[in-house]
Amino acid sequence: MESTNWIKLEFPSDTRNVAFARTALALFAAQLDWTLDELEDIKVAVSEAVSNSIIHGYQLQEGIVHVHASHSNQILKITIEDFGQGIADIEQATETGYSSIPEERMGLGFTFMYEYMDEVQVISEVNVGTKVTMFKRVGHPESHGTN
Amino acid sequence: MHYSFEIEGQALLATLEGELDLHTSPEFKEEIITIFETHPQIKYLIINVQGMSFIDSSGLGVILGRYRELQTRGGKLFFVQANPQIKRILQLSGFQKISEFANSANEVLERI
Ligand SMILES: Nc1ncnc2c1ncn2[C@@H]1O[C@H](COP(=O)(O)OP(=O)(O)OP(=O)(O)O)[C@@H](O)[C@H]1O
Ligand SMILES: [Mg+2]
Repeated sequence: MESTNWIKLEFPSDTRNVAFARTALALFAAQLDWTLDELEDIKVAVSEAVSNSIIHGYQLQEGIVHVHASHSNQILKITIEDFGQGIADIEQATETGYSSIPEERMGLGFTFMYEYMDEVQVISEVNVGTKVTMFKRVGHPESHGTN
Repeated sequence: MHYSFEIEGQALLATLEGELDLHTSPEFKEEIITIFETHPQIKYLIINVQGMSFIDSSGLGVILGRYRELQTRGGKLFFVQANPQIKRILQLSGFQKISEFANSANEVLERI
């Protein structure tokens, strides 16, 4: 019988915490049996979601990012939540290449999350915040690397 | 994150080591922009990513900014020693269409 496990992190929107979050989440995820490529994929997805909370959610100002991760029956679930600006049009925001700051950014964060995880759910409300939930199953056919 | 720059004629060779993300990319961005500004002859950017352990959209955004500048100068972008993980993210972000991969900086210098 596989046991369930979970972690919860909270940290201020300091850009140094992006590396902390993706590394911590990769260590937690490593309790399941991933390939090295898959662990790198998880790191990128977490990095994108946390970066978005800091850059867009909190506009690089003060705020707290909440991260929750759990695994059960070989499925990893990661939730990244901020209580910032929110997204007015989620469909537009998740389009490849869309960025609200196109002179600086490529609009690829969500594309990487969708590509590297099996499923991504975005819940957001303007001036309330954004919650991104991502799932990845061990041994999922979509989740192997290029090599 | 460590990086170093070397100028060889019209080519700028940038060697990146470590993790290029939201925290580390602003300083790298500022330095590479300064080099472009002070060396208008630069037409080729050769990025050695052998020692790069992580990159996400923040790092890729900086590289895209330099690609746009190279375009106005009629130049080209090259990646040296990209591992499969980095090749994959470069592919996903469309860089494989606008850049070339090589095994060494010397190989590129001979090509250009
Ligand atoms: N947590 C968030 N809070 C508010 N807006 C967000 C949040 N996450 C994303 N967005 C909005 O969605 C858009 C698309 O996000 P995405 O990560 O795909 O691109 P980007 O962050 O603009 O660029 P890149 O990720 O390539 O640096 C953002 O430009 C922003 O407007
Ligand atoms: Mg983003």
